[in-house]
Amino acid sequence: MTIKRRSTAALLFLQVLFILSAFGLLTFKGGVLDWQAAASGLILCLFNLFQYNILKSCFKHLDRFCLIVAQFLWSLGLAVIYRISPALAIKQFLILMASTLVMVCVMLIIRKSVDFGRLNWLFMVLTFLLLASTLVLGRSIGGAKNWIKLGFFTLQPSEFAKILYIMVSAYFLTTREKLVSFIPYLIYTAACVMLLVVEKDLGAGLLIALTFLVMFFAATGRTLLTLLGVGVLGGGAYASYKLFSHVQTRVQVWQDPWATYNGQGYQIVQGLLALASGGLFGVGLGRGMPEVIPVRESDYIFTVIGEEFGIIFGIITILFYLVFIVRGILIALNARSTYDALLVFGCTAMLTLQSFIIIGGVIKLIPLTGVTLPYISYGGSSILSSMIQLGIIQGVAIKNGQKDEEQLAEMGGEIA
Amino acid sequence: MRDVDKFKRNMRISLGIFVTLFSVLIIYLGYSVVVYGNQWYATPYNPRIQQAYKNISGGTVYDAKGIRLAWSDGTTRRYHEEVDKRRALSHIMGDPAGIAAKGVETRFAKYLYGMDKDLVERIEDLLAGKESQGNDITLTVDAELSEYIYDNMDAKTGCIVVLNYKTGEILANVSIPTFDPTTLGKEEPVDTSLVDRATMGRYPPGSVMKIITASAAMEEGIDLSYECTGECIIEGQKVTCSGGAHGALTLESAFIKSCNTYFANLSVKIGGSRLKKQAEKFGFNQQFKFAGDEIELYPSNFEVTGNEGDVAWAGVGQYNDLVTPLHAAMIAGSIANDGVMMEPKLLRDVARGGYAGFSFTPAQYKRVLSAEMAGRLKEYMREVVQSGTGTSAGVSGVPICGKTGTAEFMEDGQVKNHSWFVGFIDDNSKPYAVAVIFEGAGFGSRYAAPMAGKIFGYLANH
Repeated sequence: MTIKRRSTAALLFLQVLFILSAFGLLTFKGGVLDWQAAASGLILCLFNLFQYNILKSCFKHLDRFCLIVAQFLWSLGLAVIYRISPALAIKQFLILMASTLVMVCVMLIIRKSVDFGRLNWLFMVLTFLLLASTLVLGRSIGGAKNWIKLGFFTLQPSEFAKILYIMVSAYFLTTREKLVSFIPYLIYTAACVMLLVVEKDLGAGLLIALTFLVMFFAATGRTLLTLLGVGVLGGGAYASYKLFSHVQTRVQVWQDPWATYNGQGYQIVQGLLALASGGLFGVGLGRGMPEVIPVRESDYIFTVIGEEFGIIFGIITILFYLVFIVRGILIALNARSTYDALLVFGCTAMLTLQSFIIIGGVIKLIPLTGVTLPYISYGGSSILSSMIQLGIIQGVAIKNGQKDEEQLAEMGGEIA
Repeated sequence: MRDVDKFKRNMRISLGIFVTLFSVLIIYLGYSVVVYGNQWYATPYNPRIQQAYKNISGGTVYDAKGIRLAWSDGTTRRYHEEVDKRRALSHIMGDPAGIAAKGVETRFAKYLYGMDKDLVERIEDLLAGKESQGNDITLTVDAELSEYIYDNMDAKTGCIVVLNYKTGEILANVSIPTFDPTTLGKEEPVDTSLVDRATMGRYPPGSVMKIITASAAMEEGIDLSYECTGECIIEGQKVTCSGGAHGALTLESAFIKSCNTYFANLSVKIGGSRLKKQAEKFGFNQQFKFAGDEIELYPSNFEVTGNEGDVAWAGVGQYNDLVTPLHAAMIAGSIANDGVMMEPKLLRDVARGGYAGFSFTPAQYKRVLSAEMAGRLKEYMREVVQSGTGTSAGVSGVPICGKTGTAEFMEDGQVKNHSWFVGFIDDNSKPYAVAVIFEGAGFGSRYAAPMAGKIFGYLANH
């Protein structure tokens, strides 16, 4: 028996078509031909196709759909960033290329089934160091103190702390049974969240807290304790609402951004105006007015997509994330070790929650807390972190495939 | 970890939660943009609109008969040459900067500045060199009628709304004091002149409310026989009839003579909660939300307490009752239209609609009464104009129905009266409803009704 995989040619063709038409529009945008845009589009196409084919030939069991979805998302991101600022897009593209190498390294390490248990304490200390580094070295961007400057680079350490957090969680949740033995893990989680809240990086804090709840629930199956955790999170949120004026402002602005459209509500109002201007089909790439939207290239990039590509396209983008999530969970379900399963589950959950928090925030479904939109938003740390997560997911997928193949070979079958 | 099966089950449950979260995201995104998109977009502080004023030559605005009300000369906005027409229409038109109440100029900026063009239209325009040209629109408004009303209001503070009760089209909305769009922002505006009274002015309805109270009585099958002595006391509150004793009355004769004591007792008999329910059927206490957000209408208010005196006063249109002139016209129109209230409309046509694909479609706001009840009430209102308080609104040979109102309010410690008339022409070829209010002018029968009569005369002859 031979199991043959479905062809992805159609998806790749659509992707190439999308990139060429988007960058084609950008080439003709300003009245004078922008050859740099045309070249960027071509290089991006080639990059994606090479990346896909090389990875596929090196790793037979690569999850091709996850990769193509991620490719589509960063291509969309690069087109929109290019439209906002060509220089930023080129920088982002270079980081993306470098991140691909990091991703491959991560895939190789994960495939080898390195035992990270011995390093667990190191990871925990490293998480704290990363998060605390911004308190000491940090500079404030957008009200939150979550950046540090290293020579030519600004780095957002919380992006990497997130990944360490998933690894530490996966270790604790697979090796501990008794409730008492979870105490160091719970303290670790609480400390991470509190550090982030103190740094006013509410988005990352919320993200860690929610990821904890989901991973804890899935691994331990303790529904009551998870609900208690939800309660504690709710209580903590309420306490910080009472304690911190910047949290109160967030909530007020969420309830009625129009009341302070020229002040604190400005960002949300501009986002909503952009979405409303786009309507169902968008005004067209390059025809909107993203320059009035604060942080348009990172946290608020979804509103630029909404304005220029339209709500229907925005919904399709959300559906792409959904495809990614379903693939991620399937890989987790197929993993041979619970550690691998939890790693993949953790990464998938974090990407899901991160997309939900920021899209929900900009469309005013939930109060706005700033996180980046995975793969789409501008940001070196963000894209590198998302690529590492993709590497973890792919590494486990490859391992799954190898085991599948071995099992199949015992029965006399093969995977083409 | 001991139980791997349970772990897998929990991961599937988590996937279910994720899918649910994303579905909520998709539904909310679609819902909010489809339902609120137009309203958000039309806010005057949308920088896209401000930007468009600088680069795009806005489209022309025509009235229903093709009179050019506003147009662009390059990027300079121009308005009708005659000052009376400009002033009569200023609250409908608004201004590009959104200084005055939101009007056509900001509300329909999407069309006027061509932001609704689709890709094909953009390419066509690019080839034709008309890229920076907006779309023309036609309103439901009748500029000649508006000017006639403006001239006849004689600068008296108040508001008049005329609408087509079968389609909801607004023919006129004249609100005084008014302003001239050409001097807006240059001269200090007259106090309250920037307020559009038709949609933002909330007035006590006075006896106009008796239309609703009477309809509740009809639906409950209550027809009091009552002797009016000119005054009565209900739970400590004195209700008086300004015209003295009306004598023996039925529901019909009390309505025609607009007897307060009768309606006060009737309201108590109907009961506060039933009366409130009836008012809410007619649109009171509701956030109006109309298709396409063509009009933003302030909510009308009706409340009652456990005190029967308050119920009695609420039933005759005092206490805390408040209504906007446009809503009053819609109420009159619903009686004329066999119990169906139509949504008010301002936009008749967009010269080239773009993807928003505008086409005028009358929309039913809601059914407020059965056709039979509306028919009975219509006969009462016909009698008001033929022999009751509204005779001065009559025009010979024209089937007119209506109701007067005199609404008391306190100003500087003095009791004053708003003068109200709502009514309509009961003729399918002239389906027009009118609401007239003069602020603090006096009795409805003396000021508002004759004004309505003039408008009916004009409508019948044009």
